[in-house]
Amino acid sequence: MLEVFVFSTLNGLVTGLLLFMLASGLTLIFSMMGVLNFAHASFYMLGAYFAYSISLKLGFWAGLLLAPLLVGTFGALVERYALRRVHAHGHVAELVFTFGLAFLIEEAVQFFWGADTKNYQSPDLLDFPLFTLFGQEFSAYRGFMITISVGIFLALYYVLTRSRIGIIIQAAITHPHTVANLGHNVPLIFMAVFGVGTALAGVAGVIAGPVLTTFPGMAVVLGSIVFVIVVIGGLGSLGGAFVASLMIGLLQSYAIASNLGMPDLLNLLGLEFSRDHPLNDLWTLTLPQIAPVLPFLLLVLVLIFRPTGLAGKREE
Amino acid sequence: MSILSLHNVSKSFGKTEIIRGVNLDIQAGERHAIIGPNGAGKSTLFHLISGKYQLSSGRITFRDREIQNLPPYEIARLGLARSFQVTNIFPRLSVFENVRCGMLWKQGLGYSFRHLLGSQTELNVRAMQLLEEINLADRADFPAGELAYAQQRALELGVAIASGADLIMLDEPVAGMSLSEAEAAVSLIRKITEGKTLVMVEHDMNIVFGVADRISVLVYGEIIASGSPQAVRANPKVQEAYLGEAALAEAGGNDA
Amino acid sequence: MGRFAAWVGYLIVLLGLPQLFDSVLAITILNQMAIAIVFALSYNMLLGQGGMLSFGHAVYFGLGGFMAVHALIMIEFETVYFSITLIPLVGGLIGLMAAIFIGSFSTHKAGTVFAMISLGIGELVAASSLIFVSFFGGEAGVSADRTFGPPFFGIEFFQDVEIYYLSAGWVFVSTVFMYLFTQTPAGRMANAVRDNPERAEFIGYSARRVRFISFCTSGFFAGVAGGLFALNYEFITEENLNAVTSGRVLLMAYIGGLGYFIGPIIGAVLLTLMNSLLSNYTELWMLYLGIMFVLTVLFLPRGFAGFIMMHQTAWLRGKLSSLIRPYLITGIPAIMFSGSILAAIEMLHHNGEPFGFLFLTLDSGSMLHWLGLTTVGAASYFACRRSIGQLKAAWEEANRVGDATEGGPG
Repeated sequence: MLEVFVFSTLNGLVTGLLLFMLASGLTLIFSMMGVLNFAHASFYMLGAYFAYSISLKLGFWAGLLLAPLLVGTFGALVERYALRRVHAHGHVAELVFTFGLAFLIEEAVQFFWGADTKNYQSPDLLDFPLFTLFGQEFSAYRGFMITISVGIFLALYYVLTRSRIGIIIQAAITHPHTVANLGHNVPLIFMAVFGVGTALAGVAGVIAGPVLTTFPGMAVVLGSIVFVIVVIGGLGSLGGAFVASLMIGLLQSYAIASNLGMPDLLNLLGLEFSRDHPLNDLWTLTLPQIAPVLPFLLLVLVLIFRPTGLAGKREE
Repeated sequence: MSILSLHNVSKSFGKTEIIRGVNLDIQAGERHAIIGPNGAGKSTLFHLISGKYQLSSGRITFRDREIQNLPPYEIARLGLARSFQVTNIFPRLSVFENVRCGMLWKQGLGYSFRHLLGSQTELNVRAMQLLEEINLADRADFPAGELAYAQQRALELGVAIASGADLIMLDEPVAGMSLSEAEAAVSLIRKITEGKTLVMVEHDMNIVFGVADRISVLVYGEIIASGSPQAVRANPKVQEAYLGEAALAEAGGNDA
Repeated sequence: MGRFAAWVGYLIVLLGLPQLFDSVLAITILNQMAIAIVFALSYNMLLGQGGMLSFGHAVYFGLGGFMAVHALIMIEFETVYFSITLIPLVGGLIGLMAAIFIGSFSTHKAGTVFAMISLGIGELVAASSLIFVSFFGGEAGVSADRTFGPPFFGIEFFQDVEIYYLSAGWVFVSTVFMYLFTQTPAGRMANAVRDNPERAEFIGYSARRVRFISFCTSGFFAGVAGGLFALNYEFITEENLNAVTSGRVLLMAYIGGLGYFIGPIIGAVLLTLMNSLLSNYTELWMLYLGIMFVLTVLFLPRGFAGFIMMHQTAWLRGKLSSLIRPYLITGIPAIMFSGSILAAIEMLHHNGEPFGFLFLTLDSGSMLHWLGLTTVGAASYFACRRSIGQLKAAWEEANRVGDATEGGPG
């Protein structure tokens, strides 16, 4: 029991931190430009694929370094030449554009790399168990994932709150006109933030690719969940996104690991239904079955009762 | 007879008190101007009356009915209409439809999906008549968002009075207009608020003294004077709040 | 009068098309178009007219469709017995009920919150459909047979073309009602709330209630489309409820043009054609669809309908003919340029093996082909660049407002 708990906590942590890497970039972009980047998970996917191709020739570590740069550059270009254009047409047009972009990137990935799953390998250097607890191993690679995630967040936090450029960015988020009047190149800042945000997604892809499998559907799997996190955490709140990411990562991890379900609840209430009961599917429902949709259930509930999210600042 | 009364109305945003214990009586049929320096809270007062903001404390009665904290659409249905300082029309609808939409509720059409607007002759005729009154009849089919600024302000006015409300509240109706445009707008306002009660926020003292029957002066969220134009003009507290009439001649400006 | 003629024309086209295109494939495509038209029009009630971006509209389509299939099964086993011509109504009612329930909590706000709720609901319903296997049939879906109902004036609906005429009837009636809705107070206020929800409240309307009405009506017609789907395919799966289907109807409405009633019809027709015809010629049609969508959002934000309507001023002033030549000298190079890009993409895709591209056979191994392609591409690009100035000038000339805008009231 304890072993299951410890490992699902660790796994939930890995997932949660990964999700936060995606959610933080999305939150920054949303705070700055008011647009929920539907294609954010697509940049995550590009990160994985770029890193995969690079790792074939130059190894994993080169991929870790170069792929996010490529993704970030691509992201900056998208902002500069496409998103900015669409911005003038309003939020709905922006959402629709990023939706179309996600679709296009998924098709383009299949065009360039094919529709099969790629054998993107984690580096040999990290191919050992970090520790063994209760007879189960926790791989060093996962430990590495946690370390990288935390390291990036600390760097992000430091840059945003301590450095000059970070202060300017924070100001530009809430008062772009004032910042422009002070002589800062706000369009450039927007482009840079979009680039960094997508690069963050790219990093997530680079490190998640070997573990979560690299295939053209990987953006879809995570994409919706990241939205849920950003919305639940509160559109525009990094802290909220952090809490929500960990919450969802852990929640899903526990749900999948546990074997609880409706049968247990019915047992508790002393009820029993025959297998022919029309609602039999409901009475045999288990937590692992609904684990993938728990985030969406949470999303709908939060949006109904607290439309600004748990820690929301910026309201649409 | 008092048509609109504010009893000790206060509004705070967080710790900041914007409106502090305002008492005001608007008489039916009068033209009442609310003036005051920038930041006094004039627009906030309008928002409180029309239902956009909730009161922190106090009561507002419209025709002896308490309306504080009612949603805007219920207040509007009771016969209170307002215009906005920043033009707030329906940009993608035509000019004609903007005005017609304003008339729908009063006409009793509600949320109906069974009446075809094309065949509501009486409604359409009345909408056209209103357009004639605000001199936008020749622009009837233009998308409202494409009108020139002064015409949009006229449309703003039109939408406000379309509902046939008895109490019209205008928030800086001539903001941003040239002198001739403003003069034209004022005579329009006088014409279409004939027989109704008008409450107007305004900065231009010429207009205020030319139009208003009574004036109330709002400074730092409090009414410091209220009465006939002559009385207010002579009031030492008012003179102190304004550094002479020259400063009042600035048009526009933002309110909290 | 012109309006009436348009409706008559619409009816004639709907009824006449199968006479013109009577192959089995054509009838299949026409049936698909019919379903798509109703679905896309229902979606536009939300987005184009109401300003509500939904990522989960397939829920109403799918639920309506599933109920319709079950109704067909019930007719077959005589649990109930009514003409299958009413099946789309069954779908519509289920769509309406679902919309009433879901709309009760999701129409408080429009914008991003609404979009996110619709996304969440869409995912929940799609996931539930895989869990509740007894109703939704799990991964295999549910199938039925439409030929067990009472004959309709002797027709037993064994043939697809008979289903087409039934669908065409429903399409016509649905289009009429959805159009009429836009002319009612509820429909007009939906536009007003889209433009300025705050002001709508100040003229006496609850923005929430207006949105709710649009939402429910839209759900009803989506359900009707689902019913048509059930009749046509006699089969439905989780796929018809999920995000992919929701995305597809968004594409249809957007590409066709949100701001015009006829836009979604154009989008539905276009996308159905791409889906069925283009997919026979190239494996990459989805990629092209994606490219087309992104380009439309970037450069033609009003969609194809918008593009057509852009010419209204010029047409009203009789200046349309002056645009023909500039369009030709810019358009033809543009088409050739796009063609060369497409050919290049196809060449990359068919690595090494020759394939047919329009009337040519291309081979990516051949240097000559690549050279030819680059030449054609570059030449057409520059030709297009040169001509675009003329097109712009002609456009401005045709659209120039003659009288100066007057200023001020009175």
